[in-house]
Amino acid sequence: MERVSAGFKPYIMLAPVMAVLLGLFVGGIVTCLLQSLGYFPVIGLREITFKYYREVLTNPEFLRSLSFSLYISMVSSVIAVVLGVFVAHRISRYLQGQTLVKLLYKLPIVVPHTVAALMIFMLFSRSGIISRAIYQLGLISYQEQFPEMVFDSKGIGIIIAYIWKEIPFVAIMVYTILRNINESFRDVAYNLGASEGQFFYYVLLPISMPAIISSFIIIFAFSFGAFEVPYLLGPTYPRTLPVMAYTYYISPDLTRRPYTMVIAVFLTIISIGLILVYSRILKIFQIYSR
Amino acid sequence: MLNKKITVKLSSAILVIFLILLISTGCGGKRTDQAETSLLGKSFDEIVKMAEGTEVNFYMWGGDQRVNAWVDNFVAERVKKEYGIKLNRIPMNAEDFINKLLGEKQLNKKEGSIDLLWINGENFWTAKENGLLFGPFIDKIPNYTRYLDTASDDNLFDFGYPTEGFEAPYGRAQLVFIYDESKIPVPPKDLEKLKELVMKNPGKFTYPAPPDFTGSAFIRNVIYETAGGYKRFIDGDMNEDELKEAIKPAWDYLNEIKPYLWKEGKTYPAALAQQENMFADGEVWITMSYTPFKAAGEIKKGTFPETAKTFILEKGTIGNTHFLAIPFNARNKAGAMVVINFLQGFEAQASKFDPENWGDLPVFDYDKLSAEERQIVENTETGEATLSLEELLKHRVPEMPSKFVPIIEEEWMKNVVREGN
Repeated sequence: MERVSAGFKPYIMLAPVMAVLLGLFVGGIVTCLLQSLGYFPVIGLREITFKYYREVLTNPEFLRSLSFSLYISMVSSVIAVVLGVFVAHRISRYLQGQTLVKLLYKLPIVVPHTVAALMIFMLFSRSGIISRAIYQLGLISYQEQFPEMVFDSKGIGIIIAYIWKEIPFVAIMVYTILRNINESFRDVAYNLGASEGQFFYYVLLPISMPAIISSFIIIFAFSFGAFEVPYLLGPTYPRTLPVMAYTYYISPDLTRRPYTMVIAVFLTIISIGLILVYSRILKIFQIYSR
Repeated sequence: MLNKKITVKLSSAILVIFLILLISTGCGGKRTDQAETSLLGKSFDEIVKMAEGTEVNFYMWGGDQRVNAWVDNFVAERVKKEYGIKLNRIPMNAEDFINKLLGEKQLNKKEGSIDLLWINGENFWTAKENGLLFGPFIDKIPNYTRYLDTASDDNLFDFGYPTEGFEAPYGRAQLVFIYDESKIPVPPKDLEKLKELVMKNPGKFTYPAPPDFTGSAFIRNVIYETAGGYKRFIDGDMNEDELKEAIKPAWDYLNEIKPYLWKEGKTYPAALAQQENMFADGEVWITMSYTPFKAAGEIKKGTFPETAKTFILEKGTIGNTHFLAIPFNARNKAGAMVVINFLQGFEAQASKFDPENWGDLPVFDYDKLSAEERQIVENTETGEATLSLEELLKHRVPEMPSKFVPIIEEEWMKNVVREGN
């Protein structure tokens, strides 16, 4: 009895918080799932049906949006990870202990995505700062020569905004690992005739791989489900999935609501899948660090 | 160890079941509220007494700084002084507060946070069809019968959908185009002329993408003109396929001008505010507005160039009425009714009509005004940049039935935006 109640105690203490967290989270997911199956009694939809899933999956616009979302998350995450690892390596190798540098590279983390999007717009639009500067330098003779970088169907502006936000995040995760790598590894490698590049490639990279992969998954999942940057910088078409879901959501025709929820279910499934991969990698990571 | 796991799983399972129950019991069920019927049975003087010292939360679209300033300064101060009501303006898009109310209805929440709404068109249709509004209350509002034409279709219908006393007319709008005279000496008088202009000056024209309200109205205007007038549409007895067929000429027109639009028509401004900024910067030469006297106000403010002028299309531009409504679960219905009465009064309407403040068309019936009041209206300086009230009313066509609007917006996406993308 004594032991059982002692085991129970933390749960009882956590219950209020968990009720709110789980309540909001699970409640949201359950509502979402029901409505995606066409159960929305407030407006008189009561039949469970897979009709909406069929329609969404055969809708060319949905498929286009899905590929657009995947493309943006993939490109921005890969570039952010490569550059993030590079930054982490530079800092750990040459700038150990310089507080100013550390502050600087963390700056993008505290800037909200909305502000980042606005900044990108001011810099990269055709009437933006960079375009004007190049024009002043005489490199272009009129605005239209400046490449289309915001509201474009390649999503360049969106990708730049994500990269800018995500590099420091990756760098911090990887830097923590690099900083704690035993110095004697380096001595051994150099003794055996390894060059700086080889040491990085054969020693540092494998050791920081779990951190690299998990940071990649986190930023991929985030950018895949985030709404504000593509909404602010994206083109009218194609829209990313979250933007498309939102447009359906605000439609005055409430019978369209299930379509929103089908898209939301897809976003949820993909995110949960990524979380599972992430936790597997963390397990491997723990084995490594023993 | 195992014990703990089971406990966690069990408690979360119980939570989930509890939640599902909560959601499912929160659905359905009609309310018959004693307080409500009694409120509508009271005299307006009693309602004013009830409202004294209360707060009214006014949810309204917040995309126009001048409108916001007018509500915050003029309206809020006057209702505070006269009725002791504290008015809180909360900026929110109509589709968002509809969703909020819908959520509250699902959970059967009897006391919502919204007391007063600024609403019209397809959002009113959605709200009324789903029982999200309180009413009918309009007969309780003294200024409605005092100043408005109670038999006018403008007040009895909202986008072709009967208001039935659930909405109080608040202002009138009409789609106008604002152009820069220094760049376009002669404004186009119909869509043909507009097409010529657009093709001659690539990149200088665009329109906001729906669901933006104004961009959506522009598209409906194109539909009327290319389909040979509005009459076919406003009875609202077309089915979806007939409608899709009837609006096809508009897509041909919009696709024809598409390559000559801003950014070659590959993308559109997401909101009217963005297009207004581009117009102010000279990036585009034309913008549009539902506020006919907007140009005058913006020139005064210094945002639009001095050479900005207004034009409309000869075959007519869409005009509509915008309204005030009270949610089914408003906490302070009495306060909301007092504010509505104030906003329908002459003083508020005249102040709103002044382009310095807002430039919104008034809802009063001219015949019901006293000689002094007429004088005030006639003396309102509407400025060089805008058209006369008479000119506007002569070229005013009614709105599309609201149930068509979402279909039109989706068809536009399919036939114009995705075309060639």
